[in-house]
Amino acid sequence: MRFGWLIGGAQGAGVDTAANVFGAAVAKAGYNIFGSREYFSNIKGRHSYFNVMISDKPQYSVDTTVNMLATFDAETIFQHFDQVTQYMLYDKTQEQLDIAKVRSLEPEIAAEQAAILRSAGYGTTVAEVLKYLRGKGVKTIALDYGAAVLGISNALKLDPFSSQRAMNIVCVGASFSMLGLKADYLESSISHAFAKKKDFLELNLRAARAGMNAVGNAYSMKDMPHEKLKVQLDGNTISALGKIYGGLRFQSYYPITPASDESTYLEANQILKTNLGKTGSSQGIVVVQTEDELAAINSAVGATLTGARAATATSGPGFSLMNEGISWAGMNEAPVLVTYYMRGSPATGLPTRSGQSDLKLALNAGHGEFARVVIASGDHMEIFEDAVNALNLAEICQTPAVHIIEKTLANSYSVMDGDAFASKSLSIKRGKIVYPEDPEHYKRFEITDDGISPRAFLGHAQMYYTGDEHNERGHISESASNRKAMYEKRIKKLLQAAAGLDDKKKANIVGDADVVLLTWGSPKGAILDSMDALAKENIKVEMVQVRLFSPYPSELVKKAVSGKKIIAVENNYGAQGAEIFTEQTGIRPTNYILKWNGRPVYRDELVDAVKSIVKKDVKKVVLNGGK
Amino acid sequence: MVASEPAEFNDWCPGCGDFGILRSVEGALSEMKLDFTDAVLVSGIGCSGKLPHFVSGPISGIHTLHGRALAFALGVKLSNPSLKVIVNAGDGDTFGIGMGHFVSAGRRNASIALIVHDNRVYGLTKGQASPTMPLGERTKSLPKPNINGPINPIAIAVTSGYTFVARSFAYDTALTKDLVKQAVAHNGMALVDVLQPCPTYNDVNTNDWYRKRIYKLEDDPQVHEESQTLTKMTQAINNSYIMEDRIPVGVFYKNELVPSYEKRINAYIPDYLSNYPASQKIEGNGAPVADLSDLIASKAL
Repeated sequence: MRFGWLIGGAQGAGVDTAANVFGAAVAKAGYNIFGSREYFSNIKGRHSYFNVMISDKPQYSVDTTVNMLATFDAETIFQHFDQVTQYMLYDKTQEQLDIAKVRSLEPEIAAEQAAILRSAGYGTTVAEVLKYLRGKGVKTIALDYGAAVLGISNALKLDPFSSQRAMNIVCVGASFSMLGLKADYLESSISHAFAKKKDFLELNLRAARAGMNAVGNAYSMKDMPHEKLKVQLDGNTISALGKIYGGLRFQSYYPITPASDESTYLEANQILKTNLGKTGSSQGIVVVQTEDELAAINSAVGATLTGARAATATSGPGFSLMNEGISWAGMNEAPVLVTYYMRGSPATGLPTRSGQSDLKLALNAGHGEFARVVIASGDHMEIFEDAVNALNLAEICQTPAVHIIEKTLANSYSVMDGDAFASKSLSIKRGKIVYPEDPEHYKRFEITDDGISPRAFLGHAQMYYTGDEHNERGHISESASNRKAMYEKRIKKLLQAAAGLDDKKKANIVGDADVVLLTWGSPKGAILDSMDALAKENIKVEMVQVRLFSPYPSELVKKAVSGKKIIAVENNYGAQGAEIFTEQTGIRPTNYILKWNGRPVYRDELVDAVKSIVKKDVKKVVLNGGK
Repeated sequence: MVASEPAEFNDWCPGCGDFGILRSVEGALSEMKLDFTDAVLVSGIGCSGKLPHFVSGPISGIHTLHGRALAFALGVKLSNPSLKVIVNAGDGDTFGIGMGHFVSAGRRNASIALIVHDNRVYGLTKGQASPTMPLGERTKSLPKPNINGPINPIAIAVTSGYTFVARSFAYDTALTKDLVKQAVAHNGMALVDVLQPCPTYNDVNTNDWYRKRIYKLEDDPQVHEESQTLTKMTQAINNSYIMEDRIPVGVFYKNELVPSYEKRINAYIPDYLSNYPASQKIEGNGAPVADLSDLIASKAL
């Protein structure tokens, strides 16, 4: 079962809160939730929306269509009316509004949406949209949000203007009532969400009740068994948790969407709880907001030299600026982690939308040839594991690591098992660390068989670092034979990264079929979720999702795909992950499903694309789902 | 002090002002009894960037990127505040490509000593004008007189929040050593702008040129109580604009009343100064010591 619910509204009107409160309430009844957030690069006023997928089984994707469209402004109606299949909630006072009057709607979008209405023979007011929807069998439910909120505001003697912010919760209340789940779940979800804002708690509880009273049960959903501790987490927070668990003690950052939330979370929670007992000194993470990304990367690199696990977090523009620092870290074998939140590129691109166009940048960042670890996470649990793994591999190989998390995962949330975060399978491995007995004669860059030198920290031995080519001691050397040995050392040591690493942390191989969907990152979700629907069409697929891009698990991937139809599924134009695959295995994909419109791959459009490839032998399908 | 390996061969030009700074840094380290266990030298790119490699004595060095020495130094200092962090960087390095970091370092006031090798030219790239060269000055390798005006490092440091601001002359090693020692001992961001001849590329601002102009500042530079801050800053800025005909050296400004960045962090992380990021135990037999239970519980439905 999959049930899609979408709520939209102006940025600042509480869309995120509404979606979180609604999702938490449904999850309290035992359902699995995946919520995907879309918003503009804007503080207030632009259209944002949350697409929430409800299911009896874990879900990792949303669809282009939704069962219920929950609106409390006209813009949401105009943007999304063509996506709803069953119910739309709307504000009855806005029926006469025309699409041309919604100035915040971008002209390209307004023209597209108006064309849909006109080509079906309708006008462009909300009232005409309602007719269009009824003609398609969608039920429309009128609500008077303004009157509902004003009534509560008067009863509680609150400022009527600020009380308008509760319209979102009236909308949530009405939506929730239609599901048929116990009102207690919603009330306790609201109480939790507004626990620190007591002034607004009563307002919102009453707003939810007003919504619930206005609309009856339509779906009669039943409670699901739910005994475990369930938590609701977004990708930014999960990455931060992974870094904390993995021993991060220094994080630098320069503000950038969609990376900053991770750093702000770390700063807010910088004092750590440890299992060292009361005797240990308290521990804390130093979080520094630097003046730019140059300072962010280079201060983090400096921190690693002292022995602290250190990282920075950024997205495309910031990562571009960090290139020189990454090169220095490669030259000086400094285990810095960069968490790379990938968004729409190039330039500032689509700052708040998603994309996978920078994989090759991550793999080639910084001038020169040197080992680097590059990991791309495909879902929320992987973000946690990969953050720990990236910190480990950076130190084991003594080289920079890049952890790729796409915007769509960073800003979406899942309801997850809380105890999954205390996994015994995740450990900290720090590689070759020494406290030299003869610290004056320590050689930081000692040549060894595996290319990895015993690593001592500043303060514990005499050592030299330099971006110039250097000898074992770390002093500048331009000798040809020294250069040859050092150059090789800095590359061959990467082999140690793969040693002892579970195959699953290198690539996820799910199913065994003649059709392989070869992917990386977030499309994993849509692929896994589409397998049932494809099976119903007698299409059996296998997913090969590469997690570790450097060092690349060539043998593992090669074995999984050999002799099969290979469909590359990616959020970019050039199928960058597939190009790396070809480079590493010599095998080319046979077909492509690509998408570069800034939105994630949706499950339903993926099902259609796979069908047309398998049944109609289409070579390449370009997707354009999402608003 | 422990026996150390012989220093690297020094490849600076004969007569380079950097030698004076090198001797001053060595003297300061020796007199302050600092070695690799409690200090680290960080440098940028250019002739000055090689200084850590040339220091004789048991010290550690980090020769970083052009313009970024202060950024590296910040990461080292904040993750191990027990280390004295001494940065050597050039004028182009600090005031050109690295100016953003120079200004921001004042806002933070971390305890880092920055020694600028200020010779008005980019030496290692064959003598281009640096940000401290005056408008219209023409040194021998410039195809035209300098078309840019100079920045005032002392004034910028004072207004950016540096709490120890001094100027020296490279060949006055006694003064330079003394100022370096004061800068290293200072709790807060310290600048020692060291004027130096470049005998190869700067044929205008020579040793003789400097010696005729330099004099020692006599004003008391220190802020003894907060109410004096503006007066002392103004005094420092006024003195910093005495230039070209007469050049004052010494301490321009000193303020020990502003908390260092380490102290500011310690206000949020109580044991930070004794149990800092570099010394924190992060695992026991591979098991992470961080306990996420409260953080996870706070996200419970």
